[in-house]
Amino acid sequence: MIAVLALLVGVVLGIVVHPTVPNALQPYLPIAVVAALDAVFGGVRAKLDGIFDDKQFVVSFISNVLVAALIVYLGDQLGVGSQLSTGVVVVLGVRIFGNVAAIRRHLFRA
Amino acid sequence: MTTRPENVTAAQASGGLAGARPPDPDGDGGPAKRTYTPDFLTELFRNPLDPGYADAAARKARDGEPTGARRWSTSAVAFVTLVALGFLLVVAYQQTVADEPAATKARTTLIGQVQKRRDETEQLQKQADQLNRDVSALREKELGGAAVAQLKDLESQTGLAPVRGSGAKITLRDGPTPVNPLTGEKNTAGQVKDTDLQLATNALWSLGAEAITINGQRLTATSTIRQAGEAILVDFRPVSTPYEVVAIGPGDLAKNFQDGYAGKFFKELVSKYGMSFDSSAAKDVTLDAATELKLRVAVPSTPPPSPSGSAKAAQPHDSPSKGGR
Repeated sequence: MIAVLALLVGVVLGIVVHPTVPNALQPYLPIAVVAALDAVFGGVRAKLDGIFDDKQFVVSFISNVLVAALIVYLGDQLGVGSQLSTGVVVVLGVRIFGNVAAIRRHLFRA
Repeated sequence: MTTRPENVTAAQASGGLAGARPPDPDGDGGPAKRTYTPDFLTELFRNPLDPGYADAAARKARDGEPTGARRWSTSAVAFVTLVALGFLLVVAYQQTVADEPAATKARTTLIGQVQKRRDETEQLQKQADQLNRDVSALREKELGGAAVAQLKDLESQTGLAPVRGSGAKITLRDGPTPVNPLTGEKNTAGQVKDTDLQLATNALWSLGAEAITINGQRLTATSTIRQAGEAILVDFRPVSTPYEVVAIGPGDLAKNFQDGYAGKFFKELVSKYGMSFDSSAAKDVTLDAATELKLRVAVPSTPPPSPSGSAKAAQPHDSPSKGGR
């Protein structure tokens, strides 16, 4: 409940503030979103498993976003930015998919 | 490294299994059991959940729930993280939505520019035509009647001026281009090629045609008929099927063409590839002037202009084969 409230606060904040993303950060935004989604689905699944932990969630969220951005940044510097972002998206996508499957089993018992 | 392929297949197999298996309860061991397998993909497919959650749960079971200020602070940090998350999602959404019209806008701007340039070109072409007419009017005024008549004669022969008269109309149409169902390749044998049009025009020249157009494009002594991919370019302008070759010439031009080698060749093509070919007499047709004729050689007319100038060499009569080059 509190989590949903916090999310809503963030959304409203984003709408009200309406920040412009600096050009240098724009390529990292989609990757950061995917990384954040991975952390969120991991957290939801842990909640349903009954082993959710605030600290673990915060750390995984922040580290996910930072590491994903770092990998893409490194890739950009090395000239393989798009390939590395594909790799990041694939790995995170697999994790999201697995976690969503687990959530589905929890919710629908199927 | 050598075992990698088997590991990967195992990972895929277990990944497929994971969909049907209930989540692995972490009952068999404490945090000490956690191992980092070198095969990352297998681990990824088998257990997508961060192992840290299991660790934390085990710690809680061992030490009990955190109490008081510590618990509140972690909850507060989690709250802030979620706020940041919502913020991030909204920003990303807005960014994506904002990017979209930018791309469309660039496209419409480009389209507008293309349109504008086209209009400008048209305007300039009109101006050029007007100036051309002015020039010829002035020339007629300055030169005497005989010179003008000679000039007009030369102009109509070389394709610089529109001409009117009777002659023949040859129509060529592409045959069917069946697609090979296996390879997906088009069989273009039935299409009219540039060499076909060259043959037709050369045959017409040799039969005494005085002026020829292909789909309204007047041929001159320096005209080109070339293939570029699937398109045929006449003087670098594309023409497409059906190809209408209109010629002004002697009255029996159409009949001669049909009975000549060109007509026989086209009849062969019709029976073999399904092209369509038609040759008929044309009465009272007007052929436009050629659009582009560059002045190549100019000689100052200090002596009285001799009638056998260089322009005569460009007459279609003298070089019947030139039209097809």
